[in-house]
Amino acid sequence: MSATGKKLSQKLEEIYERIKAEIPWEPVGPTPMPEIPDLRQWDMRLLKTYAPFYMPFCDLCCFCTYGKCDLTEGRRGACGIDIATQQARFVLLACLMGCSAHAAHGGHILEFLIEKRGLDKKIDLGTFIEVEAPNIRTVVGLKPETLGDLQIALEYVFKEITHLLDSCHTGQEGSALDYESKALHASMLDHVGMEIADIAQIVGFGFPASVAETPLVDMGWGAIDKSKPVILVSGHNPATSTVVIDYLREHNLEDQVEVCGLCCTALETTRYSSKAKIVGPLSRALFFMRAGIADVIMTDEQCIRTDTPQEAAKVGSAVIACLDKAMYGLEDATEIDTDEIVRRMVDNKEQFAILDSIKAAEVAVKVAMEIAPQRKKGWLTEEEAIELAKKCTNCKMCEQVCPNLFNIGGGITEVAKGDFDLIRQQILQCIGCGKCEQECPNNVPIFKIMQTAASMETWKCRTGRGPVMDTEIRNVGAPITLGTIPGVIALVGCSNYPDIDDVADMVDEFAKRKYIVVLTGCAAMVAGMKKDKDGLTVYEKYPPDFAAGGVVNIGSCVSNAHISGAAIKIANIFAALPLRGNYEVMADYVLNRVGVCGVAWGAMSQKAASIGTGFNRLGVPVVLGPHSSKYRRLFLSRKEEDDWKVMDARKREIVDTVEPAPEHLAYVCETKEKAMPMIAKLCIRRNDTPQGRAIKLNHYISLYRKYIGPGLPEDLHLFVRRDADIPLVYKKEVRAHLQEIGWQPREPIGLPTLIGTYPTKVPVDAVIH
Amino acid sequence: MSSVIPRHRVNVLTGIKSARLVEDPAEYANLIKKAKRPLLVIGPLLLESSPDGKLLLEYALDIAKVANIPICATAQTKGKVVELGVKPDSVYDVVEIVNALKDPDWPGVKKVGNHDLVIFFGIRSDLGNQSLSTLKHFAPHLKTMTLCKHYFPHANYSLPNFKKDVKWQEFLENLVANLEKGS
Ligand code: SF4
Ligand code: SF4
Ligand code: SF4
Repeated sequence: MSATGKKLSQKLEEIYERIKAEIPWEPVGPTPMPEIPDLRQWDMRLLKTYAPFYMPFCDLCCFCTYGKCDLTEGRRGACGIDIATQQARFVLLACLMGCSAHAAHGGHILEFLIEKRGLDKKIDLGTFIEVEAPNIRTVVGLKPETLGDLQIALEYVFKEITHLLDSCHTGQEGSALDYESKALHASMLDHVGMEIADIAQIVGFGFPASVAETPLVDMGWGAIDKSKPVILVSGHNPATSTVVIDYLREHNLEDQVEVCGLCCTALETTRYSSKAKIVGPLSRALFFMRAGIADVIMTDEQCIRTDTPQEAAKVGSAVIACLDKAMYGLEDATEIDTDEIVRRMVDNKEQFAILDSIKAAEVAVKVAMEIAPQRKKGWLTEEEAIELAKKCTNCKMCEQVCPNLFNIGGGITEVAKGDFDLIRQQILQCIGCGKCEQECPNNVPIFKIMQTAASMETWKCRTGRGPVMDTEIRNVGAPITLGTIPGVIALVGCSNYPDIDDVADMVDEFAKRKYIVVLTGCAAMVAGMKKDKDGLTVYEKYPPDFAAGGVVNIGSCVSNAHISGAAIKIANIFAALPLRGNYEVMADYVLNRVGVCGVAWGAMSQKAASIGTGFNRLGVPVVLGPHSSKYRRLFLSRKEEDDWKVMDARKREIVDTVEPAPEHLAYVCETKEKAMPMIAKLCIRRNDTPQGRAIKLNHYISLYRKYIGPGLPEDLHLFVRRDADIPLVYKKEVRAHLQEIGWQPREPIGLPTLIGTYPTKVPVDAVIH
Repeated sequence: MSSVIPRHRVNVLTGIKSARLVEDPAEYANLIKKAKRPLLVIGPLLLESSPDGKLLLEYALDIAKVANIPICATAQTKGKVVELGVKPDSVYDVVEIVNALKDPDWPGVKKVGNHDLVIFFGIRSDLGNQSLSTLKHFAPHLKTMTLCKHYFPHANYSLPNFKKDVKWQEFLENLVANLEKGS
């Protein structure tokens, strides 16, 4: 029997038991621990307006031995699948990889911590965070109080992943929409998995929480003191890098050994020790490895290069693979005596997998200290670079393979003449893939030459601070939902940028305009890799608070769950809507009332696919960079034609709002210039008050004029409901324009919701607070 | 069909249905002239100038003018088009215009019916090729063509990979001349 006394099905009864339904912190909503069909109607409603838009990478499918199957011109594969459904299946697979990566990462950390601290270790995120796990509470229906509770949530995620992956097998699901619904499901689970991982990290490693002003740490390869032994940690899972720091602290070596990081492990390690340094995002990995500055490279998981052992061997860096996700074919030395491993690494230059973090840390420090004094570490001088560049015949083979089609040969030719300007500009756009150098018939060491040109400058990054505080949510809940804070911009994801400076420019543009800017992952690093005319990075220029004009580094990839979590907390804490097992109500609230827009400008990985798609299910639109067209799928509306009807929950009437707010859920922009007004537009919500709408439109128009051209945005009329929505500065011009095109004012909507416009178990009452 | 290795060799798996390579400007001009309702989709790469100092965008505007083709200005190209004294017939982003083109009942930018030939010019190669793939698979009612200096496998008709920019420019100039001839 449930708390309400209704008879439950056996399945629900089991769920109630797992989520401890008897603890009455909130009533249990309609979908605790949802399975594939449970939120399908919500998905279908979203997909009706934001239809999947497919961009097939190739015309074939080669998933099974019936293939390859030609899927062009309406042909179906031998299993019956069509091109759209095949794309959707591919997207689901990508989202599952992403979700699994984070969930398994969470699982590893949890296991490590439970062994150390026990199942009953309490979760405490500090004075200002009571709603510690908004995603887990909403999706799972469980309020996690201990590490053991996190495990219950994680087991649910693992089970769902299995069902979802099953559906990708040949000859099953035949609907692209159903695959998309499954991708949305997988990606919602990703946010649960990320939340589990980061809460475990915060609790287990004592990362900062309930604080905004976290330390500023050094960033850039210029910040690394090459004269000391250097340990490079690379990847996402800090289980080992934090132990390295512990070892150094215990042995009083913290000031004698440099610990620096690439990708999210760098961000995580700085959350543990502000003495650790950030080299940069993944796009700088190969540059840094080839420089040979690292004495020991420790890899963990996700987005570490697969050729790390080979690249390290070339420059004499030692390698330890610390996690089972990537063992590189190396001998597993977990059981071998520490001194023997050190000896073999130093004397024979052997590389090992060591899956015991305490042992790996000790070996890393000892090896680094032994080999560092014997290694020569230095950058190429400009003169040497000029000499090497003279080997270039400008054959353009490098340009052919560059994913950005750079005229890199041209850059090298200029260097040969002693001019580094072009190559300095090219490195900002280079994603560090190494394809150019691999292709060069004359063996020009392109990377070394580019390194010389690359900035030795150092920058500042603010340490990731974890969840947004409940107190902050209380302060900004009203202005965000009314629209007077024009939006929350979440810059997330990897470093496959058209230009590395774009992210800092976006942060600056929106922070200056008093949006709230939050960042995670590689985006959080590169935001700090540009200085203004006063020599300040955005982290030094703007306050670290989740408030208008704040620039907040939330943390690593897994910290993305705190951004979705913040959106949920606005519904839960500010609007007082119950969240427990109540996903549809939360997502509906966010879609209609919380002006938040994700920007994954350099999205590259499968994890970025699931992070973004998870935001989409929660009603958060995401703007992607041009490379992301290679994810194969967007969610686009057609503003003039689509269904923009909502229920006005106060009047109980279905109203056609006409306004495409938000217009798209997953959108690719070709340039930063286009992205700027698009991001502002995607923060528009139906709930905006006239005052809030006028502020949002003011930014939309002014960004359009700044980056696109003169005049007014072509679709402006769709977002003006009444005269009061028109921003003051543009009043005259907009009024004249509206009159010219025959615009008519529209009735205001009391309480916009999609609940009631599609078949769902959720009653309209549930959205009224 | 001859198999062509695209200039942009990274990340391309042309599959089996790749673009017909056209090197003759007269043939390209004929294809354009034959179309009843062509559309020229222009992208931000046209804001760069070519070796002779002429803005690439000017080639696009010349082509549109001589062949009387409506323009769709994507990304931030509108600003420069207007600056050059031309009012673009439509302003959509590339994925938006492709989304509309997919619908056979869409009336087109001139409101007289969907387009039968869509010419891409100045869109980044990765985004351009992916967008052309969408049209190839989901817009069988129209044909696509590119004017950029790289081969685009997902188009119906594409230029080859030009090793030298001047050769490409020559092609564009000849194309304009050929289009002018018939008009
Ligand atoms: S999964 Fe289907 S479409 Fe793909 S190769 Fe097998 S039969 Fe062909
Ligand atoms: S491939 Fe090598 S030789 Fe050819 S242009 Fe590039 S750097 Fe120069
Ligand atoms: S390393 Fe940079 S320049 Fe070289 S191919 Fe990759 S993106 Fe292009």
